[in-house]
Amino acid sequence: MDTNAMQTSLAPQRAEFWDIERDDTLVCIDVHQETHDVKSFTFASPQGKHFAFQAGQYFLFDFAIGADTESRCYSISSSPQRTNAFTVTVKRVANGRVSNWLHDSMAVGTAVKAQGPLGHFVRPNTAGKFLLLSGGSGITPVMSILRDFGDTCRPADIVFMHAARSPRDFIFRKELLNLAARMKTVRLHFLPEVVAGEPSWSGLTGRISPEFMKLAVPDLAERTVMCCGPAPFMAAARAIAADLGVPPSSYIEESFDAAVIDEDKVAAPAAPVAKVYQVEFSKQARKIEVADEQTILSCAKKAGVRIPSSCANGVCGTCKSKLVSGSVDMKHNGGIRQREIDAGMFLPCCSKPLSDLVIER
Amino acid sequence: MLQTFASPISSLLDSRAEGHSLPAGLYTRDDVFQADLDVFFRKHWICIGLDCDVPEPGDAMVVDIGNSSLAILRDDDNQIRVVHNVCRHRGSRILNAGSTVISKLVCPYHQWTYELDGELTYAPHMGSDFDKSCKSLRPVNFKSIGGLIYACLSDNPPEDIDLLEQVMTERLAPYDIRNAKVAHQTDVIEDGNWKLTIENNRECYHCSANHPELCVSFVDLDFGFDPEALSPEDLEEAREHEALYAERTKSWEADGFPSAAVEQLVDCATNFRTQRLIIAGAGESQTPDATAASSKLLGSITRKDLGDTHLWGHNSWNHFMGDHAVVSIVIPLSAGKTLVRTKWLVHKDAVEGVDYDLQKLTDVWIATTDQDAELVARAHAGALDSAYLPGPYSRFSETTLDKFATWYIDRMRANGY
Repeated sequence: MDTNAMQTSLAPQRAEFWDIERDDTLVCIDVHQETHDVKSFTFASPQGKHFAFQAGQYFLFDFAIGADTESRCYSISSSPQRTNAFTVTVKRVANGRVSNWLHDSMAVGTAVKAQGPLGHFVRPNTAGKFLLLSGGSGITPVMSILRDFGDTCRPADIVFMHAARSPRDFIFRKELLNLAARMKTVRLHFLPEVVAGEPSWSGLTGRISPEFMKLAVPDLAERTVMCCGPAPFMAAARAIAADLGVPPSSYIEESFDAAVIDEDKVAAPAAPVAKVYQVEFSKQARKIEVADEQTILSCAKKAGVRIPSSCANGVCGTCKSKLVSGSVDMKHNGGIRQREIDAGMFLPCCSKPLSDLVIER
Repeated sequence: MLQTFASPISSLLDSRAEGHSLPAGLYTRDDVFQADLDVFFRKHWICIGLDCDVPEPGDAMVVDIGNSSLAILRDDDNQIRVVHNVCRHRGSRILNAGSTVISKLVCPYHQWTYELDGELTYAPHMGSDFDKSCKSLRPVNFKSIGGLIYACLSDNPPEDIDLLEQVMTERLAPYDIRNAKVAHQTDVIEDGNWKLTIENNRECYHCSANHPELCVSFVDLDFGFDPEALSPEDLEEAREHEALYAERTKSWEADGFPSAAVEQLVDCATNFRTQRLIIAGAGESQTPDATAASSKLLGSITRKDLGDTHLWGHNSWNHFMGDHAVVSIVIPLSAGKTLVRTKWLVHKDAVEGVDYDLQKLTDVWIATTDQDAELVARAHAGALDSAYLPGPYSRFSETTLDKFATWYIDRMRANGY
């Protein structure tokens, strides 16, 4: 038996690592159906390089779809202890151009361009207690964190709570049950919104609420919370955690949920250097600061500037306002007409500043 | 034997004497007004506007008829749509009356948002299981006939709009009203019943004494006269005019411009009359001197001597001339108040002050409309007087009024009154 060769393949003497500055090509080595609408894709370096990342990080992919290049961020779901390949887990989104393309076209052998690992949604290096909280496909980075704990046999008091639409939408359900059975200090809570597809579901159902949290995690205030999920889920989780005494310093959330959850939005740059502009609302005599990556409406709301609004997505036009001076990057969805734009109107809900602004509001 | 009536209005309808104006109550009573709205403004085709009221995608115009509010829109495919201006959530009015530019139809109450084709696309806080597909805005039956929008609020619109459509599509084609421009609009509220407004418009018996401006270009003889009421001189002129009319009609028709009178006035649901009339004097247009007000002619028309194609319906009257058109729409507001909305149309590329003089364009019909408002108010005030008795229509110059009153009674009866 050539033990030497075996040792080489499992534990390279001089491991060559993927270089975020130089390497940009990955090849798909496995596709796995996780649930009815979720697949995991495992990627390796064509040169066999290893990956050094922290649980909770993500990769930025450039997918060549037709004539276009679509950029998306996907959190790594696999354990950082496995370094020869990493896995991302993607839910098919209705009309999601990239997720559908991945589900339909990504196959073993497909090469893709990628950059990473990126991101700061990583576990603080403390020995404290954790709540890993996820909604839907937001499970991916916290799954990586849990797998890391399992692989390293690091003792940790972990509550892993996963919410999804129905029991059939729980990603990694069997694996989580196995991990929880083996890891002595992990408690698992699944919370389906409805029991559709599994009428025998024996647990509670519904959305996360203060009542549910108090029952399921009575010592919540003592835990470091790491949360990832759709924006409304994270907003609810944040409010509940704050109400139940989790200090902001112990609350960590994935900040690019848009890229993970909602493919319609483009991923935020890995390390944005925000430019901040002065935005004046002339009628209310208010001046606020808006970073170039924030919408004017969301900042106005936070600052208590009153603008009528509804959809927050450039559809309904309720927030239509006169832009007296300055320029914006507007990505509307039909809520304003070119004629109105030509006449100086814009929709603050889907506009980011490109300069200082004066708005007639 | 006890006499029974289908409705409290039936006895009034029964008491109308042939050849005479209507019994007072039919002009003045509130229950009759409500019945009129139901019969003539919900169950018949009415003219509500023009394609060129909404020239560009996103243009919208709301017209209120009784308790109904209709939104005329032009969608992103450049198609005209007419929908009920009633949100499918809790019924709120979506758009205000009048004209506006919209990107979507957004209800101001709870921001239910509809595409311009009426489809509901955004209804916040209704849950992910809410089926938006069955909550589109309710469409209204309508037809654009040569650029005039006719709507019917009933689910069973009268089919005899076909003759109007067939005749006017051909007659209006050269004017290209669909692509004209509204150069001016006035709203005049007359203190009178809508039927008096229409009756006043259907005769020119009153013209020579009341409309000096209009009579420069309009030939009142076209609408009948009693030969014995004219001086020998005037009679000679009238005969000459009749001969000229016959000759001119023949020549216009030979040139491909249908001109002869077409009437559908009684024994029908859809009431209309059209005819190409001679313009007096300079012969070009209904202006103070009968010369064209706009040097850019409508549509594909290249000559100014094509007279005046007039069109009546039961809630509108129109004059289409080479250089411009005048479109009047009648909207009843109450038993004693009636809105007359008049629009002056010119070629869409005609520039005010360059190709046309707005005052010259509008002078005649602004004056005429004001004079008519005064006449209608007098007629209505008389109908309210207990001394009013229905009077006889002239068999020479008011035959179309007798036909209108007859049609009115017939249609009321046909609708159960």
